[in-house]
Amino acid sequence: MATAVASSRELDDFESVVRLYWPKVFRFALASLRDRFAAESLAQDCFLRAYRARDRFRGEASVATWLMQIAVNLVRDRARDRRWQFWKRARQTAVDATDAAVSIRDHGASPEESAAIKQQLQAVWEATSNLSERQKTVFLLRFVEDMDLLEIAAATGLKEGTVKIHLFRAVQAIRERMAK
Amino acid sequence: MIEHLSAEQISQWMVGDRTPQLEHHVERCAACRGELAQIESTISQFRTAMRDPANLTPAPEWREPAPSAAWLTWPRLALAATALAALLALPVSWRVRAHEQALREETARAAQADAQLLESVDAEISQAVPEPMQPLVTLATWNSSSVSQNQKAH
Repeated sequence: MATAVASSRELDDFESVVRLYWPKVFRFALASLRDRFAAESLAQDCFLRAYRARDRFRGEASVATWLMQIAVNLVRDRARDRRWQFWKRARQTAVDATDAAVSIRDHGASPEESAAIKQQLQAVWEATSNLSERQKTVFLLRFVEDMDLLEIAAATGLKEGTVKIHLFRAVQAIRERMAK
Repeated sequence: MIEHLSAEQISQWMVGDRTPQLEHHVERCAACRGELAQIESTISQFRTAMRDPANLTPAPEWREPAPSAAWLTWPRLALAATALAALLALPVSWRVRAHEQALREETARAAQADAQLLESVDAEISQAVPEPMQPLVTLATWNSSSVSQNQKAH
């Protein structure tokens, strides 16, 4: 109860909420949509919707989970949008694996190690792009956002068992791609 | 005793389904431990790369949306549209009802007039001699009665 009240109060300072959770929401949108402009637009939309719905937030889940729930719904809607599918194919602003891997270059790895790591990351990145929308969402929430199965279930509206099945299949697919 | 972890068991481990049997094997098998460590390391690097601030767009400055936009929500717009449609439909509905009432009254009047006409026709038909010929009947009756009177006199 005290946690719920604290979570609700957190929304009073919405500017801080945006500052604190923007990276999480943007990151998830970027990894899901693979387009910086689209990810930025989706993250803004997510915070705008959260702001307008903040009176209905009861604090049953954390603010982070609640925001991810909104983001997951927006990504799902976007994925079903045929116009978006068309522009996604046509646009050249899509992020590729080398973009995501660029930041590990200077972390003390030798050029050979760096190349091997980059190759592995490329494999994970490509494998996630071939996952179903739900598998991808569950994988990103678990392994990028470090959310546990119950939090993922709350954010996606799926049962915990279903989350586990999607995650299992996602890991299988990624392992297969890494083994190639 | 498991020989080595199968692909499914490795995925099971990664998902967090770690049975005592799997844990026991991983503890003792360096090859499986190595394979799991490699997968975990790759996923961890993927996470690090995704979380790197260099890959993120900074948060935009937050400005509260205009309050006018806040009350103009879809449910409210839908409600207003429904109310407007009902308001527009009301006079039409009244007119339709008045027209139907007038039509009913007109039909009743016509039916009454028809009934009266039929009654008068029936009455005329039921007479043996048509009304315009009634004086002739009277005349004929008068003639026949005077003839019989004359015959009696003779």
